[in-house]
Amino acid sequence: MKDPVITTQSQAKRRRIAPFVLGAACLTLAGSIAFTFSGARADESMADTPPSQLRRLTELQYRTAIADAFGPDIKVVGRFSPDLRIDGLQAVGASAVSVTPAGLEQYEDIARAIATQVTDKDHRDRLIGCAPSATDAKGAACARDFIQKVGLKLYRRPVSSAELQQRVAATLDSAARLNDFHAGLAATLAGMLTSPDFLFRIDWPDRSGRGIDAWSAASRLSYLLWNAAPDAALLAAAADGSLNTPAGRAREVERMMASPRFADGVRAFFTDYLRLDGMDDLSKDALIYPAFNSSVASAMREQTLRTITWLLVDKKGDYRDLFTTNAIAMNRTLGPIYDIPVSKTDWYIHQYPQGDPRTGLLTHASILAQHSHPGRTSPTLRGVALTEIFLCEKIPAPPANVNFAVVQDVNNPTLKTTRLRLQAHLDDEECASCHKRSDPMGLGLEQFDGAGQFRTLEHDVTIDVTGSFEAKPFNGAAAMGKLFHDSEQVSACLVQSAWRYAHGRNPVATDAADIARLTKGFAGEGHRFSALMRSIALDPGLIALPRTIRADAPRAKKQGVSG
Amino acid sequence: MTARAPLPLTKAGRKLSLALIAGGAVMLTAADAPTGGEPGIHAFVLSNFFLVNGGEADVCKIPDEGDLDRFYATLSPEDQAKFAGPEKRQALEIYMNEKMGFRRIFMWGERSADVKYPPGYDPKKTPTPEQAIAIGALNGLPKGKGRLAFSNREVVYSSCSDPQDFRHLAKNFRTYNGPVAAGINLDEKVSKEDFTGPDGSKGVDNQLWRAVGCVQAFRVDSQREIASKDMISMRAPTLIELRGVDDMQNDPDVTVTVYAAADPLPTDGRGEALKSATFSVDPDPRLRSTTRGRIEKGVLTTEPFDLLMNYKEQIVDAPRDIRGARLRATMKPDGSIEGNLYGYYTLDSYYSFIEQMTQNGSILTQISCPGVRQAIDRMADGYRDPRTKRYTAISSAHGFKGVRAFVAPQQTAQADQTR
Repeated sequence: MKDPVITTQSQAKRRRIAPFVLGAACLTLAGSIAFTFSGARADESMADTPPSQLRRLTELQYRTAIADAFGPDIKVVGRFSPDLRIDGLQAVGASAVSVTPAGLEQYEDIARAIATQVTDKDHRDRLIGCAPSATDAKGAACARDFIQKVGLKLYRRPVSSAELQQRVAATLDSAARLNDFHAGLAATLAGMLTSPDFLFRIDWPDRSGRGIDAWSAASRLSYLLWNAAPDAALLAAAADGSLNTPAGRAREVERMMASPRFADGVRAFFTDYLRLDGMDDLSKDALIYPAFNSSVASAMREQTLRTITWLLVDKKGDYRDLFTTNAIAMNRTLGPIYDIPVSKTDWYIHQYPQGDPRTGLLTHASILAQHSHPGRTSPTLRGVALTEIFLCEKIPAPPANVNFAVVQDVNNPTLKTTRLRLQAHLDDEECASCHKRSDPMGLGLEQFDGAGQFRTLEHDVTIDVTGSFEAKPFNGAAAMGKLFHDSEQVSACLVQSAWRYAHGRNPVATDAADIARLTKGFAGEGHRFSALMRSIALDPGLIALPRTIRADAPRAKKQGVSG
Repeated sequence: MTARAPLPLTKAGRKLSLALIAGGAVMLTAADAPTGGEPGIHAFVLSNFFLVNGGEADVCKIPDEGDLDRFYATLSPEDQAKFAGPEKRQALEIYMNEKMGFRRIFMWGERSADVKYPPGYDPKKTPTPEQAIAIGALNGLPKGKGRLAFSNREVVYSSCSDPQDFRHLAKNFRTYNGPVAAGINLDEKVSKEDFTGPDGSKGVDNQLWRAVGCVQAFRVDSQREIASKDMISMRAPTLIELRGVDDMQNDPDVTVTVYAAADPLPTDGRGEALKSATFSVDPDPRLRSTTRGRIEKGVLTTEPFDLLMNYKEQIVDAPRDIRGARLRATMKPDGSIEGNLYGYYTLDSYYSFIEQMTQNGSILTQISCPGVRQAIDRMADGYRDPRTKRYTAISSAHGFKGVRAFVAPQQTAQADQTR
């Protein structure tokens, strides 16, 4: 469990150091990241997440940055520190994590391997373009060009003259000591790759102190819309000042949303929102669910993302239709789980006939399998997940002394269905208070087993999938999906989550009006997800510094510090 | 389903009409298959296929010893002493190869460097049988000899490639002479060559078992407990598809198609055949056969049909050509199928499988190629060639096991529209 004292201290410390202390950041993490991270769980709840000015790159963002800077043939090999999910979003957790000493070692190993590849004989002509000797007088110009060019891509801002001077000097010094110009450049590049300027997305304040500068704004836009660093055109818009104007920003947003990379941004959001990263570690009991394996798990995640991008990006469809659509991306790997003939060897959109039990996002195996136990379903886990993800409501963790014996007794001779076993468990009133919020939704999905496979019987007893949602009755997952489709809370939750994803923090009271406006606009635009992303991207709030840390705001008070 | 009123169309015709109507609906709604697959269609992929024996009463007291032991028995006492013991079997095999003049011409790998090829030979293409003989002639094989082996990577001359040249190795080959064997009465006659079935049925035609039923390798593999765990032809399994099924327990009229899959058999987390996988169909029309069948109390029985079944296993690629085949299979509630295939196995396609095991494989498995060849030729009982008056096929009984599967819809899916 997270230590609240350390957390609060680090938050307070970060408030103090950002943004001005970071302006004098040292060149490598070892020298610059003084605060520590307490080693939190994979999913934390922190309603008062701090205003975010530093966000650690996720593994995917790191890999994308390297591919964009140097090309896809540069291998990124190594283990990354796990990302932290706060209140359901890693995008919020990214504002709360730092780098541990062990994590720094991993970053250094990865960086050295990348730098070695970039400067090796196979790549140096394309990526460096000059090849002076270790003591060549032209070495300084060569190093300067490379550092300027690469620094812009990695730091997402121009390298300052002081930084440049220091990096060039270090390169030449290393080259002389190693008697190899490229070895010296590799050392410099490795240093840049372990710099906080690369590993963290930093919101630098503009001159007014009320907003972020154009370079930081470019990063916010590109990570929101593409989940990648700004491209050359966006950096150019930051450099020429056009990004500071509403018209210039709108132009860039339209350009980015018209790009195929917008789908990457949508995938990144829904991976985070639906917690699909959890599929990477998902395992099942092979004796109970022999059709499930890690390849199937990866395909399940891909299936959901492809379905989403097909409906929301390609078809520009209504977000709510995700809960009722008969269409689902499919491939041969998933055919056995879905128990259907798969017509193509590659991915395609499978159209279920009307009335099929497999309808909508709630019946995706990624959702069903991830929120189940390794050997059985869990209406509670599923219900909690639906509540937290789609309704933005938090259900507290169960107390430590709960007796789950009845629920876990899957071969109970009299309580043959999960519903009956849960009902027996709910005889405990303390448990019932939470379960009655989560379980009805989870029980509505009981026709899908722990691997997401359809069934109608459990121990030869017909499975009852009736329930109610928002005081409306349903019978089965498809009907529940229709209620989700019609729920204002479900749509509002998406807006709130997208806002939190973009801002990297939980909203505070003063953000409520902005989110309400976005929610109204989302409905007005026919619940088009791209319209929501556009609205968030163009919202002045995205490039404003949070009110609590503006230069003109009162100094943040230390909160909750004890001992 | 029985027709309750006279209709101008047969059941098959009605189903075709309904399918066309449904097809129209599919086109209108662009719907693909529902969960569980299209109604009325049930398919299975065979994971296990094996010669089946006659149960407890099926006994061979002295199994055949195989070529190597038979060769050993012909040696002088001095040579027998030299090669006595299991640790000398490899040396004995080498000695046998030398004495018999067996040869392998390698057309692949390091040992192919000195091989001579006829003019115009393209090493990138599989040699024709005539080219194999030409390669044999250029590299020291007896005139007119040389057959492709080992996945077409060798030209060989051995007792397996040319069993007629080594008839002495078939001397005293043991055949099965018991009264009981698995099978059915294929020719609807009861004759003295026929067996009694394990259930007491008369007139059982299974001359293949009479020919090879004392070969130990086949006896072991025919035990259902062993055979049901030994998946076979995984890289090109066989599919059985039933269409027009109204009731999986009783339906007097269903269409049965046997396909060769173009995809390998996937396995699940338990190492068993994966259920509900989809298979594309091999485009070769020869590997596709359709017949009619009926289901009674969950047991499928088909009318006779000719069948060419893929059999691809390691170095073996020997499609089973079975004439007058009949399926009898039980379809189980879990979606699996278990049953038998009876019919007349053509001699050449059966021997092709024996031959492709190669001489080395026959020694390892103690299967005498000349012994089997002579036995099946002698005991063949089906499909007499009107010109030669010789039988070209031999009655047989195989067992099989399979799991629920899907045959890929014939390229009707939408184009890939996803990222």
